Amino acid sequence: MPRDKALDGFGRYVGPATLILASLADGPKHGYALTKDIESFAGVRVAPGTLYEALARLQTQGLIEPVESHDRRRPYRLTETGAATLQAQLAAQRRVADVGLRRLAQGWGLT
Amino acid sequence: MRPARRRAARLLRWYPRAWRVRYGEEFTELLIADLAERPRSAARTADVIRGGLVARLADAGLSGCPPRSPELARMQVRACLASLACCVAVFLGVGGAIWSQLVIGWQWSAPDTAATTVATFVMTGTVLVLGLVALLAVLPVAWTVASRLARGQTRALAVPSALFLAGLAVMIVGSRHFGNGWPGTGGHPWARTGLVPGGVAAFAWASTLSVSSFWAHPAALAAFPAAELTWMVLSPLALACLVAGAATAVRRAELPPALLRFEGRLGAAACVTMAVFLGGGCAWLAGRTAPPGSPFRPGAIDVAGLAVMALALGVACQAARQGRRGLS
Repeated sequence: MPRDKALDGFGRYVGPATLILASLADGPKHGYALTKDIESFAGVRVAPGTLYEALARLQTQGLIEPVESHDRRRPYRLTETGAATLQAQLAAQRRVADVGLRRLAQGWGLT
Repeated sequence: MRPARRRAARLLRWYPRAWRVRYGEEFTELLIADLAERPRSAARTADVIRGGLVARLADAGLSGCPPRSPELARMQVRACLASLACCVAVFLGVGGAIWSQLVIGWQWSAPDTAATTVATFVMTGTVLVLGLVALLAVLPVAWTVASRLARGQTRALAVPSALFLAGLAVMIVGSRHFGNGWPGTGGHPWARTGLVPGGVAAFAWASTLSVSSFWAHPAALAAFPAAELTWMVLSPLALACLVAGAATAVRRAELPPALLRFEGRLGAAACVTMAVFLGGGCAWLAGRTAPPGSPFRPGAIDVAGLAVMALALGVACQAARQGRRGLS
């Protein structure tokens, strides 16, 4: 599967999945820690049902994996495939942001 | 149990059992933390309910992306096939009632409109094809399950197999019993005037006797013989046992990839055949010129039946599509 196609089947969960991958990029986290971290860097609170649906899909796709834990709150970490997918996903988003900002600057004088 | 944990446990019930086994404990912890921060949140409840329903759809092989692991992918394909089998059963149960009404009517007199004639021909042809597809689908799975049971490898298959066989036996014996007495089954003089042998028409009628508008008329229903009423209640239960047994066996049996691909192709063929059958049913409904009292006159139950069949076909197509994605 090409890297930039990896989140294709996620449908409405692409956004939460990207946020989760970005959050896990600096180390393993459990569900509640993910919610708080995403809230702090993205300003959105991912609801529990959405978070776990995205987590389940990411795990099925091999983009994240659970970490051994004796705690009830199981942490997850990024896999190598997950890191590559996140890189491709963010690069695609950056291309969109660059084009949008350039056109805003050209057409509306906004910089 | 603390109130927050109790509320979390209640919310968790929206998810399927397999999901609860895998994620239940950690999800409960997250819910408890969330409940502590936001004790009242309708948005959270709605989100959890939606997540639970999505997880149930995924568990039934009707949504989600195909897993990367071949083992998980095969599990998903088996779930798709089980859902497809359930849809075909619902479709045949309701469609069989409509079809038997038409072919039994043909035992008494020829159809009074061209639309009814064409529709009955189309539906009869598709019933034959669907029967053949079902037979081709069941035989290799039954063989695989039976050989595993004989080797004592898979005890998990014993209960669903028994459920399937019990349901099948009740349906055959009961439908044979209640089909007797109809034209063509007891040396009736009109035995050979219909499109299909009278015994086949009567069997289809008896096996789908529960699909009836009489349920909406309790006074008329009360006048039915007790044995017939019992059969109207028992037959859907037997059919449910048959289908549940088959679906569970398909989900639990480790079917080889080649067989899964074969079953997937049969599933696609079943979807096309069901669509043709539904087209025939709609043509019959559209040409509703039969006079009152005619056996070919469609009623509200037939309209409802076609709607249920359309829904079953839609779900079956989704299951077939998901199965194909899992196999690719």
